[in-house]
Amino acid sequence: MANGLGRKSLKRKQEDEDDGAFEQELRPNGTLEMLSDEEDDEDVSSDDGQLDAFPEIVDESDTDESEEDEGEEEEEEEKSEDEDEDEDEDESEAESDDSLHVFPKAKTVVSDITKQPKVVYPEIEPDYDSDSSTEEDPNRVGNIPMHWYDDLPHIGYDINGQKVLRPARGDELDKFLATVDDSSAWTSAFDKNTQMDKPLTSEELDIIRRLYAGENPDAGYDPYEPMTEWFTGKGKEEVMPLSGALQPKRRFIPSKWEKQKVMKIVRAIRQGRILPSKPKSTSKFEPYAIWSDPPSNHPPPLPAPKPPLPTNAESYNPPEEYLPTEEERKAWEAQDPEDRERDFLPQKYSSLRLVPAYDQFVKERFNRQLDLYLAPRVQRVKLNIDPESLIPKLPSPNSLKPFPNYKSLQFLHPSSRVRCISVSPDGAWVVSGDEDGNVSLWEIMVGREVKRWKFKGKVGALAWCPRIDVCYFAVGIEDTIHFLIPANIDSAILSLTQSVLAPTTLPPAPASPSPVKWTTPSSNTWSLDTPVLTIDLPASSGTPNHFCWHRKGDYLSSVCTGGVHGGVWIHQVTRRHSQAPFKKIKGSVQTVLFHPLKPHFFVATQQYVRIYNLSEQKLVKTLIPGIKWISSMDVHPSGDHLIVGGYDRKLCWFDLELSEKPYKVLRYHSRAIRSLQFHPTYPLFASSSDDGSIQVFHSRVYNDLMTDPLIVPLKILRGHKVVDGLGVLQIRWCNKHPWLVSAAADSSVAVWCS
Amino acid sequence: MGRLRTKGKAGAAKNYMTRSAAVKKLQCSLADFRRLCILKGIFPREPRSRKKANKGSSAPTSFYYTKDIAYLAHEPILKKLREHKAFAKKLSRALGRGEWSSAKSLEENKPVYRLDHIIKERYPTFIDAVRDIDDALCMVFLFASLPSNSRLPPELVENCARLAAEWQLYVIHSRALRKVFLSIKGVYYQAEVMDQTVTWLVPYQFTQNVPADVDIRVMLTFLELYQTLLSFVFFKLYTDAGLVYPPPLDTKKDENAAGVNAFSLQDNSRQISGKPTHTTASSQITGKLVKQTIKSIAANSEVDSEDVEMAISDSAADADEDFTPIPSSKDQTTVALPTLRTLSTLPQTLSTDLFSPYTFFLSRETPRPIFEFVVRSFGGRIGWPPSSGAGSPFDELDPSITHVIIDRPPAKKEESSEERELRSRRKYVQPQWIVDCINAGKILLEEPYSQGKILPPHLSPFGEHDGAYIPASAEVAPAEGEEGSDDGTVEEDQAHRDALDTVMDAVTEEPTSLRTAELVAEAAGVDFGSFEATVKQAAKKIGKKADAEADRGESDMNKMMMSNKQRKLYEKVKYSREKKDAEVRLFLQPFAKLMAHTQLSKNNFK
Repeated sequence: MANGLGRKSLKRKQEDEDDGAFEQELRPNGTLEMLSDEEDDEDVSSDDGQLDAFPEIVDESDTDESEEDEGEEEEEEEKSEDEDEDEDEDESEAESDDSLHVFPKAKTVVSDITKQPKVVYPEIEPDYDSDSSTEEDPNRVGNIPMHWYDDLPHIGYDINGQKVLRPARGDELDKFLATVDDSSAWTSAFDKNTQMDKPLTSEELDIIRRLYAGENPDAGYDPYEPMTEWFTGKGKEEVMPLSGALQPKRRFIPSKWEKQKVMKIVRAIRQGRILPSKPKSTSKFEPYAIWSDPPSNHPPPLPAPKPPLPTNAESYNPPEEYLPTEEERKAWEAQDPEDRERDFLPQKYSSLRLVPAYDQFVKERFNRQLDLYLAPRVQRVKLNIDPESLIPKLPSPNSLKPFPNYKSLQFLHPSSRVRCISVSPDGAWVVSGDEDGNVSLWEIMVGREVKRWKFKGKVGALAWCPRIDVCYFAVGIEDTIHFLIPANIDSAILSLTQSVLAPTTLPPAPASPSPVKWTTPSSNTWSLDTPVLTIDLPASSGTPNHFCWHRKGDYLSSVCTGGVHGGVWIHQVTRRHSQAPFKKIKGSVQTVLFHPLKPHFFVATQQYVRIYNLSEQKLVKTLIPGIKWISSMDVHPSGDHLIVGGYDRKLCWFDLELSEKPYKVLRYHSRAIRSLQFHPTYPLFASSSDDGSIQVFHSRVYNDLMTDPLIVPLKILRGHKVVDGLGVLQIRWCNKHPWLVSAAADSSVAVWCS
Repeated sequence: MGRLRTKGKAGAAKNYMTRSAAVKKLQCSLADFRRLCILKGIFPREPRSRKKANKGSSAPTSFYYTKDIAYLAHEPILKKLREHKAFAKKLSRALGRGEWSSAKSLEENKPVYRLDHIIKERYPTFIDAVRDIDDALCMVFLFASLPSNSRLPPELVENCARLAAEWQLYVIHSRALRKVFLSIKGVYYQAEVMDQTVTWLVPYQFTQNVPADVDIRVMLTFLELYQTLLSFVFFKLYTDAGLVYPPPLDTKKDENAAGVNAFSLQDNSRQISGKPTHTTASSQITGKLVKQTIKSIAANSEVDSEDVEMAISDSAADADEDFTPIPSSKDQTTVALPTLRTLSTLPQTLSTDLFSPYTFFLSRETPRPIFEFVVRSFGGRIGWPPSSGAGSPFDELDPSITHVIIDRPPAKKEESSEERELRSRRKYVQPQWIVDCINAGKILLEEPYSQGKILPPHLSPFGEHDGAYIPASAEVAPAEGEEGSDDGTVEEDQAHRDALDTVMDAVTEEPTSLRTAELVAEAAGVDFGSFEATVKQAAKKIGKKADAEADRGESDMNKMMMSNKQRKLYEKVKYSREKKDAEVRLFLQPFAKLMAHTQLSKNNFK
């Protein structure tokens, strides 16, 4: 049998190669006579055994030998599809060969026993090729799901329990060559049971084509079969009723309830409750005298505001100057329609007949209506005030003379910024100190320099002792305070000054040792160039940059901001003793002040001004100026008013009798305020700023508590240059005259006279 | 202890309501809400603090007074709108089911609302209504000129045209028109009715089309209200004037485009009122009727007196027809006895029969509706060619025509002798003349307006806002007489003035150049006395200038003492003044402006 099979397969292969292409066209015709006899054999053999074991293989006759190994499971699936095809082919092949028929011909005979006709199939003759069971089943592993062995090298076990190895499949190249050689390769699919590529039959291809085309996969299905009428149609009508029961009475007598309902309606119509057809409301709107009856006392709603009346620009023939230039036109067109001041561009037409239709007419009406019902209306009081009336009426500066209004002279320092100045109590001399350590003494009237001292390090502060009977001033250089006696003074005053600064009998040293040392050089080394007295502040306490003398000239307060301790010291010259009034201070102290009349002490930290009572050793008041960083402050000679200036350009005027909030806040400088001072005798005060200007104010303070102080701006003094963002650094009034001395960053000191 | 205060229970939170809350409360659609707001005249309000009014949210919403919404909730129209909604549902169901007969009966019994009570509510007195008819008139005149389509039924347009014609008839009849302005948008008219100025805008006679971004439903809702309002107002105006309302329409005339003339004004006393509504109205107010009749009698007598006046003035006009017409009727007012009525409206009577001595004829290219209305409201007679519509009282060859309003350049063609004769007897003026005469309140010279002349600028009779630029042409009245009598002296004067100007400049600039200035003055032939005077004047000026500068410096310093609030207010006022001044300054650069403009026009010619 194996030989036979081998032969067959050989032949078939040849045939495949020969006319593989024509196969599909040829086969349906069933005219493949060359092979018919051999197929016959097989057919017969298969017929005998299983009726429908390999029907299509039998029919197709183009399969390989191995194809006959197809498992039953696939067969069963295909069976239903194939069977009708079988029948078709049966018919076609019946002519050529009857024995090709799968089903043996049945005969109908009359049964002897029942006398009924019965179908009798012919006996199966167990000859050589009648039973396929004798043929070796190519599927040697049995009817098992092949996927069990997907991952294994074998495909199952044969009847003897030996592994059946997976046949070689060839590599990708072989596959490719196979596709090249075999033109039918693209219509074949891998069959797991046989482990071979099996070409799809034309039926299968047809099914695929149908599925692909979205048709019914069954070729024999006719979607448009003529309807078979079983119960309807001509001659099939039901004539007789289903039941033989009698018709109820209600079917043929008029309804009582219906009559009642109808009568109700009829009665209603008769009585006129229902109008059969209302007279059609042709009532066109007719106006009448609506305002004839008196109006209600309800107040009428406010009338809507009327749109503005047209102006000359809207004329069809406006004066030439209303016409927009090209730039105006472009600007108007570029603007958003909402931003436009006018909703039209003025245009000029030489005559009325040339005026076209206005294309925005409907749109404008619509916008007006939107305004009427969508826009909130607010009643606004139109401000019709003269702006000049808002400016406060103050007395004219001319009536408030004298005040400094011009620069009378200028004193120049060699190079660097002049940080500090001080005017002698008699108002004749000025000392000024710069950042190079130069301290110059010069006459206020002529600006002639009398004496110059040179120190190491920059001069932080200068202060002339307010006593008249003695004459000296304090200079603050890094960590030290020097007391200098000016040149060219009266001998009596000089001797008194020397005795004050360096008494022959030193006062007794304080009980507790102070970190501050007072030193006086021996009297034979005294000269004009060297200080008579020096106070050494504790090391690294920084340059003292603010001095404040008590009015009696005995106490000097110094503030060092740069240092570690940030200390405030009060030095007593007669007792040669220094004390720190505060153990600990919140915030860094900017300036301090002695109250002119009371034993009060003002301390300005960055944001607050605190007033301490020195005799009672307690806090009296805290002022809140609302300045970010206080730069300077000064107290009015009366002691009731305080002005505070800040680096944030604000100047606050405090009435100390009133609250801790400022009475008035002024902001007129364009840069930080550096310095300010009240004039000791005249009702003036001035402030200087980094914008290079000095502002002079008249400030009259009244004795009665009811009248507010009068502040009148008098003059803005300009003349200093701004260097590196620094302007006028310090200003001081001259005691006896309304004169002002200002030190600026442009290394000049100016005297302003009235 | 007082009662606990809960947040959101009092104040702004309770007084205001957002739009969505209002719609929710009224249980109607947004479209119905809009309709209600338009009809009732409810508009959003701006709360002082939006956050407080909106439960702390600052979302952009519009707010209404809660009381306004409560007022809307009681509105009978709201009920009708709800009924209409139900009706629409029923109708669509009937149509969907194909139940045509029930659909038809539904349609017949469609709920309709009336706006009478709203008119009465919104305008409790007649004066209130007249004050507010500006917008209504604008809308009605606009819709009268719109083409009808599926959204605009022809009846609506027809009704608007009727209302517009009725208004014009009334204004003509009562001689109420005061000012007319030909703008690029249309023609503005201002009339004085019941002592209220009513201004309305009529588009030029072109087909207006409704742009796509205009919601026609909003306009139609407004129009609905306006039509009702106007018909009530006109009814009152007509009946008060002793006329029949509505004036009967002659359909045949209307078809021949007679316009306003298709309606005929009928006296109430002559008419046997066939309409029941009229009788009921008048029977309701018997006292009123009496008053009306009195008034109508008075009006009749007045018309008679006017006729007499007209005859007088006609004869006067005939007498000096060849000369320039006398500016208006000053002498006539002295002739007429000052009755109480004329005294009360004295400044108006001056100009209301401005055109009564004249007869006008419209040339075919001038818009007839505008000029017929304008001329007739000022007492003139007017005729027009048949191409402008039927109903002209006389034809072109009528000998009484004094003025022809013509808007085309003069044709260069041979004229027959009788044409020339006609031409010599008539004045040919451009349409602007009519309007300018009305605005000036007197008859202007025809010369600058004659055919083919470049017209003087047409200025707005309503004026400009305060402090705005006033063009030079506004001050120059064209009626003034002799000009440029002696040119020689004028030139001399000019030279002297120039010399003195230089002196002034020299003094103000520097005293050292005074000497040269003196020389210049001498050369120009100025006598020494005047030179001295000028110098003194200049010196004084310098002193003044210095003073002013000092003052300014002082006030600048005083600004320091202003409080923050005052300073801000000051800056705001200053800014707005500066802006206005800048606007005027822009106009006062005539040279630059004119140069730019001539450049432009040259470019246009190229």
